Amino acid sequence: MSQSKYASSAQPSLERRGPIGNMGAPVQKAKDSKKTLRRLIAYFRREAKFVIILAATVVIGVLAGVLAPRFQADAINRIQKPELGSLTSVLIMMLVAYLIYGVSTLIQGFVSARLSQRVVRRLRGDLFAKIVNLPISYIDSHSHGDIMSRMTNDAENISNIVSSSLSSLFSGVLTLAGTIAMMLSYSPLLTLLSCSTVILTVVVTTFMTKYMRKYFVRRQTLLGRLNGTVEEMVTNTKTVTAYNRQQREVEGFSRTADELTKTGIIAEIIGGSMGPVMNMLSNVAFVVVAVFGARFALSGDISIGVISAFIIYAKQFSRPINEIAQLYGQIQTALAGGERIFDILDEKDEDKSGGEIVRPIKGVIEFKHVNFSYVPGKQIIRDFSLKISGGKKIALVGSTGSGKTTIINLLMRFYPIDSGEILLDGKSIYDISTDELRDAIGIVLQDTVLFTDTVKNNLCYASGDTAPEALQAAAVSSRCDDVIANLPNGYDTVLESGGASLSQGQRQLLTIGRAFLSEPSILILDEATSSVDTRTESDIQDAMAELMKKRTSLIIAHRLSTIQDADEIIVMDQGAIVESGSHEELLKKQGRYYKLYMTQFAGQAT
Amino acid sequence: MLKYIKKYLWIGLLGSLFMVGEVLIDLLQPRMMANIVDNGILKGNESLVWSVGLRMIGVVALGGTCGIMSGVCVNICAQHFGNDLRKACFGRIMNFSFEQTDDFTVGSLITRTTSDVTQVQNMVAQLIRGGVRCLMFFVAGSSFLLSMNVAFGRVLLCTAPIILIEIAIVVKRSGPLFLLLQRRLDRVNSVIGENVAGERVVKAFVQEKSEINRFEKSNAELVDTQFKVLILLSWMRPIMNIVLNIATVAVIYIGGREVAARNMEIGELMAAITYLSQILNGMMMLAMIFQTITRGVASGKRIKEVLASTPAISDGGMIDVPLRGGSVEFKDVSFVYPGHRHEVLKNISIKVNPGETFAIIGATGSGKSTLVKLIPRFYDTVKGSVLIDGEDVKSYRLETLRSRIAFVLQKSELFSTTIRQNILIGKEGASKTETEKAARAAQAEEFILEQPQGYDTPVAEGGMSLSGGQKQRIAISRALIKDAEILVLDDSTSALDLGTEARLFKALGEGYGKLTKIIIAQRIATVMRADKIAVLDRGEIVGLGTHEELLNTNEVYREIYNSQLKKGSESA
Repeated sequence: MSQSKYASSAQPSLERRGPIGNMGAPVQKAKDSKKTLRRLIAYFRREAKFVIILAATVVIGVLAGVLAPRFQADAINRIQKPELGSLTSVLIMMLVAYLIYGVSTLIQGFVSARLSQRVVRRLRGDLFAKIVNLPISYIDSHSHGDIMSRMTNDAENISNIVSSSLSSLFSGVLTLAGTIAMMLSYSPLLTLLSCSTVILTVVVTTFMTKYMRKYFVRRQTLLGRLNGTVEEMVTNTKTVTAYNRQQREVEGFSRTADELTKTGIIAEIIGGSMGPVMNMLSNVAFVVVAVFGARFALSGDISIGVISAFIIYAKQFSRPINEIAQLYGQIQTALAGGERIFDILDEKDEDKSGGEIVRPIKGVIEFKHVNFSYVPGKQIIRDFSLKISGGKKIALVGSTGSGKTTIINLLMRFYPIDSGEILLDGKSIYDISTDELRDAIGIVLQDTVLFTDTVKNNLCYASGDTAPEALQAAAVSSRCDDVIANLPNGYDTVLESGGASLSQGQRQLLTIGRAFLSEPSILILDEATSSVDTRTESDIQDAMAELMKKRTSLIIAHRLSTIQDADEIIVMDQGAIVESGSHEELLKKQGRYYKLYMTQFAGQAT
Repeated sequence: MLKYIKKYLWIGLLGSLFMVGEVLIDLLQPRMMANIVDNGILKGNESLVWSVGLRMIGVVALGGTCGIMSGVCVNICAQHFGNDLRKACFGRIMNFSFEQTDDFTVGSLITRTTSDVTQVQNMVAQLIRGGVRCLMFFVAGSSFLLSMNVAFGRVLLCTAPIILIEIAIVVKRSGPLFLLLQRRLDRVNSVIGENVAGERVVKAFVQEKSEINRFEKSNAELVDTQFKVLILLSWMRPIMNIVLNIATVAVIYIGGREVAARNMEIGELMAAITYLSQILNGMMMLAMIFQTITRGVASGKRIKEVLASTPAISDGGMIDVPLRGGSVEFKDVSFVYPGHRHEVLKNISIKVNPGETFAIIGATGSGKSTLVKLIPRFYDTVKGSVLIDGEDVKSYRLETLRSRIAFVLQKSELFSTTIRQNILIGKEGASKTETEKAARAAQAEEFILEQPQGYDTPVAEGGMSLSGGQKQRIAISRALIKDAEILVLDDSTSALDLGTEARLFKALGEGYGKLTKIIIAQRIATVMRADKIAVLDRGEIVGLGTHEELLNTNEVYREIYNSQLKKGSESA
């Protein structure tokens, strides 16, 4: 599987907040924002130290930022009327105010970076720990892409909002309050007039954002569809080629791409108009201040310096409003993501409880009247009873859907049974902790899962540090030594994207080697050699016979040759046992196994 | 890549022209404000404030219109360019050979077509809009500022280099950091992906704790890098603000003396402050432009690699004949995978007659799959040739060649549409009867009808909702519906149980007798009825003949046979 498709593009950018920022991005709403917010805040509570420092620097910064224009106004007044006092002293004050402001924003940047990274690291860590401990049923029943996107995109959204927006939201609100206070102290009437244009700004922004969002949402949908097409077609490129579908797929892609371009242009144009429109409005505000300021100045109510200060304040005033409007959307999106994250965090962990396993492990497995269904009403396993004596080799055969793999899922405690009992050495597996239980069982699954790591680490996955001799021995027994010898760096070759460059058969050999190295008391092979040729397979079987001497092994296979020498063969159909016995016994019975065997032997249906 | 932008360059240039207009008006504004302050407010001329004020709003509206128009043009240019690029990229990829797809890897091809194209598109937009804006602000702003008072030039001269140096440092340092960040992010995502996909293995081997540790390590590395980036970027704005404000203080100081000396008016001083902040802000924009360019150029290179890769398998183009029987002949064929030394196939010579069933059997890695992939030219032979109906496959038109071969891959690839659509990939517009006939022969009909919506049941992503055997049977239906002469089954019945497989081959024999069938399989039972069986071992044919012949003469075949059947036959 390609990992890059999950690569989030949400990385910090030099562009902290552009003129239109994320305003147009589709906003997703959380169902219960308050609750999510409360839980997110809980994550910050543990970082109280940083939050307090951040708050303190924001307050200092805002004070300095609001005071500075006052000094500037003073300075301009003094230029005009030198009798008001020394220009230099005011300028020094102004410089100091701006320096404090600058330094405080610097510290804010540092602190919020630290804060956000700590919070996100913890959030992501918690989420991962949760996912690893979720019951298999959760992973089986949810789209992997969706789980991935919660771990990456949603966590990243929260990280971004924290690192870039938390302090600006805080300082925005404070600046707004401070600015209004300052303006009021100069001239309440002029303040009122300035506010009127602000209201205009808010109305226009809200209207445009609403209109814009429609197109951005549409663009996002189309983009998702386009990316989906690319991914599917590139992944399935072999089929596309084999069936001469190239031209047709390119045409389909072009249609979506053209539609995306059309929508994208409209969305961007509306989004891009935001800046000029805002600019226009801020100029209207300026003219209002200038005209009425002039009138008040003429009547002697205010000084020229005050007008200059007002011009600055009016600008300072609209900035946080714009910012808060933009942040609102981002915060909504982050909260929606937060809610999805908490949804997973609230899922129940897999039940791992239980005591110790009975030692030494004899490997006696007993199913007693087990019933099970994945979905209520669709029973998969019916009144299943089976006793496997320790140290035996048992085979499960039966057509697809007869419940063989399900039996393994139940034995591993991947799924809980509905009723009945499963015992290991006489003790219910539900009284044995999953760690103990699974430690005792080595399993090779139908789907070969390898990790992006060296061959050696993949083989030693469960066994940890292993002596080179033991590693070599396991590789020889599982017949993957040849495969490894042909790899460029032998055991140290890194398997990229889960060993995609190996053939299915080669991957199966490696997973068998991995199971051998874990030295299990019970070994389960679920269609583990389906892509391995039969001669190699029989070699593996011989090695396994040696390895599993006096240990229990459970084998599922379509190829009857794989299981002929099993001590007992269990034939399953529709979740129940229909026959059991040794190969010879079953052939003599001339029952279902005999029929299966004859098809294999004869090769053709009769 | 230039050829793609050429078409839309004119509209892009128009966009930059509008941008020049917008910036000029932006720069005109402070002057008008100065006029309002100096001649209106200070002189108590309220009507001038009104008239200039209204004029200013009008001018600003014009500037805004210019800005919007520039946005319109630039968007049309950049997005159409990006669209063309994306389509070209996708088209190229669709025509890649297997080898090229493998070389690039699927994941990287997806990123190249999606996010890399977007990056380049952003770069174009940013260059036209931001670049022009930045340059204009700097050049025109400086000249306006200097035209008011040369002394202000000194302030600019002292501050501008500081900002430029700051930008240079940040851009230089952030480049490698961003790369590292992307790698760390990929790493974290890959750990998550592996754990989600492989959770059974993690649990089965009780590795939850060690996986959490592994993740913690990648997570810590990612957070660490992210932190470094954020810290680096944190310097940007505060320093810029401090420098800008020091410059403002200096301008007021100088301006104050000039006003006192009656060389200048208050309003002009205020305009000067505005110009200064516009110039320095414009420079600040440079930082963003640099960043977009760095990313855009890197992405551009990756796209160019795709576009520059000419299809490795070139179209023969000579022979364009449809049905002619379907004999397949390998003549002294050798093959080595590109970049490998190990010879996968060595001097293979076989002839398969029309309508024959030809089976290939052999150990894992013996080259079976490689051999059949040479027929539809998924790969080309290194030595020797493959002939269909007596003609070298390389001389056929590719499309014609592949339309004659129905190839079922080892790994069934399903598309996320309905089951019916998945089968119809084999033959667009085939009738309902044809579809059902193919599905029935592939032994797929029974389970398809059990699906909630039968043939019209949607297939979930990659066929997650279907079992391996079901996927294989849909893939086989798809091959059977195709009007081909040669059917290749590349170990594509491995997940079928014996009974189903036997019924499939029976149906193939009855309904598709004319097809030349080439079958790779592991089970003797699958191959024993073939007209001819080839035994492959380490890239060489070690046996060729019918089941009986091979059983009598061929050691390897007998070993395979024994490993599968002998024990049973003794006791039976």
